[in-house]
Amino acid sequence: MPVNEGFVPKIQVFEPHRASLPPLIPYLKEFWTRRAFASELARFGDKAEYLDSRLGKVWLVLNPLLLGMVYYLVVTIIRPGGSVSGMTRLDHLLIGLFTFYFAQNCVTAGALSITSGGRLILNQAFPRALLPFSSAIQAFQQFLPTIPVYIFVLLAGKWAYPTTIVPGWTWNFLWIPFILICTGLTGFGLALVFATLNVYFRDTTKLLTYITRIWMYLSPVLWLPSSLRGNMKILLWINPLGPVLNATSRVWVSGESLTQPVVLGCILWAVASIVIGGYFFISRERDFAIRL
Amino acid sequence: MPDDLAIRIENLSITYKVSLEAKRTMKNALMRASLKQKERTRIIEAVKGLTLDVPHGSVLGIVGSNGAGKSTLMRCIAGILSPTEGRVVVNGKISTLLALGVGFNPALSGRDNIILGGLASGLNMDEIAEKTDEIAEFAALPDGFIDLPVRTYSSGMYGRLSFAVAVSMTPDILLLDEALSAGDAAFKEKSFERMRQLCAEARTILIVSHALATVTDLCDTAIWMHKGAMVAKGKPEEIVDGYLKFLNVGSLPSNYEDM
Ligand SMILES: Nc1ncnc2c1ncn2[C@@H]1O[C@H](COP(=O)(O)OP(=O)(O)O)[C@@H](O)[C@H]1O
Ligand SMILES: [Mg+2]
Repeated sequence: MPVNEGFVPKIQVFEPHRASLPPLIPYLKEFWTRRAFASELARFGDKAEYLDSRLGKVWLVLNPLLLGMVYYLVVTIIRPGGSVSGMTRLDHLLIGLFTFYFAQNCVTAGALSITSGGRLILNQAFPRALLPFSSAIQAFQQFLPTIPVYIFVLLAGKWAYPTTIVPGWTWNFLWIPFILICTGLTGFGLALVFATLNVYFRDTTKLLTYITRIWMYLSPVLWLPSSLRGNMKILLWINPLGPVLNATSRVWVSGESLTQPVVLGCILWAVASIVIGGYFFISRERDFAIRL
Repeated sequence: MPDDLAIRIENLSITYKVSLEAKRTMKNALMRASLKQKERTRIIEAVKGLTLDVPHGSVLGIVGSNGAGKSTLMRCIAGILSPTEGRVVVNGKISTLLALGVGFNPALSGRDNIILGGLASGLNMDEIAEKTDEIAEFAALPDGFIDLPVRTYSSGMYGRLSFAVAVSMTPDILLLDEALSAGDAAFKEKSFERMRQLCAEARTILIVSHALATVTDLCDTAIWMHKGAMVAKGKPEEIVDGYLKFLNVGSLPSNYEDM
């Protein structure tokens, strides 16, 4: 075998750092070339969790569905009647809940990804952001099977209550990929923040269970965006998931298009989360190995 | 950096700041803040002012007692830990086999772990698929074990698989931290064989081992680390001799003191 076969002289310099960013272009290049690692890790994560268990897969669908039913009961008991028909409210609640869980799973699984990365982090050098990224991919894979559930409930509702207004096919559904990408990016960005915090404070994930619960109540999931009056409308904007959940309700449930402010809101929160989370995480990730 | 160097270490220091708290939590931090206390920490200087050049194609042995800073040094060269002071320049692709084996996930099969480890170290799927069988064969796992979860492996099988993965990556620089202690006599012979082959291909190898015979057999240079500093560098036989004397006598030879 020739000695220098495939040998690309690659000089790396390791120097002290002071909570500042490493050279970003090489970092992102490394991240990109190893993206398959993140997706395989997500796939294997599923495998380890639901090892050969068909029940595991069923649970992925059943769990959000049952939760949806629970919350629906709660909401209809608290506020019976109202101007919006029951089925529409259920549709809104289900897709809002599924989308919210997608983001929440990105954040909670991502927050744990570093502290549970153990040996992988101690023994191999790679861009650490790949681990929360892998959690985001996994969260997306868990979100996908809930889409047919939503569609099924939507159609069943129309069949049971023919007066329910269900959107037919419209080009506005093309906003859906946009919404999901913004949701995933926002979730990933926030995961970067909490994953970093969890390295320094191991009770961050405990705190996170309260934060996500409050966060859901402040999001247009259990209530309709249109039910907010006056100053309360600000909840739709200061919440990182406000714009995407507002958009979710409009597009999925009503088949409406998105207004410019909502689109901007989605993009702004996604970009802000990635930039802030990315800075917070990447500037500290060289510290992770000595703190595990 | 001169072209013939694989690794240049300049005045490298690495310190750990260890918290004496049982667990670092926000709760503790808030309690401390309310009592106006400071977190109790200890600074551990794991590596102190180490300067070393490793030319391409050399095999360097590192000896020293527990806590001498050998693993810390290896992690720094691999880019896992960053220096507190000084710098490390590395020229080439690195493969590591550090103290605890590669980042194996015990719930996944050996094959899945090979794939993950390979992807994390920057290989692509085709390259890994090519290597998996070769790795399984080299590790000489009993029939079918490659597709069983790693938690079902004996520690020897685990070590052999780790070693097989590390040497299969055709690295320019191979870092082995107490990796050769795995396996039985037959596997040891095979791994020596593979290491000699890697040396012949002019790859650079760093070996941390408590089996001093390994160091004298395989290495062309050795260093001795003690409490984070390099106390001696030279021919493996001499270094091992000095280290053995130190282990028996318990004090550093006087002529090393000013090094
Ligand atoms: N993750 C860590 N956090 C704090 N201190 C550490 C950590 N790892 C190692 N140390 C300390 O650094 C010193 C050197 O350790 P190490 O590099 O593992 O030595 P060796 O591999 O030579 O036995 C030891 O005093 C050890 O206690
Ligand atoms: Mg060690």
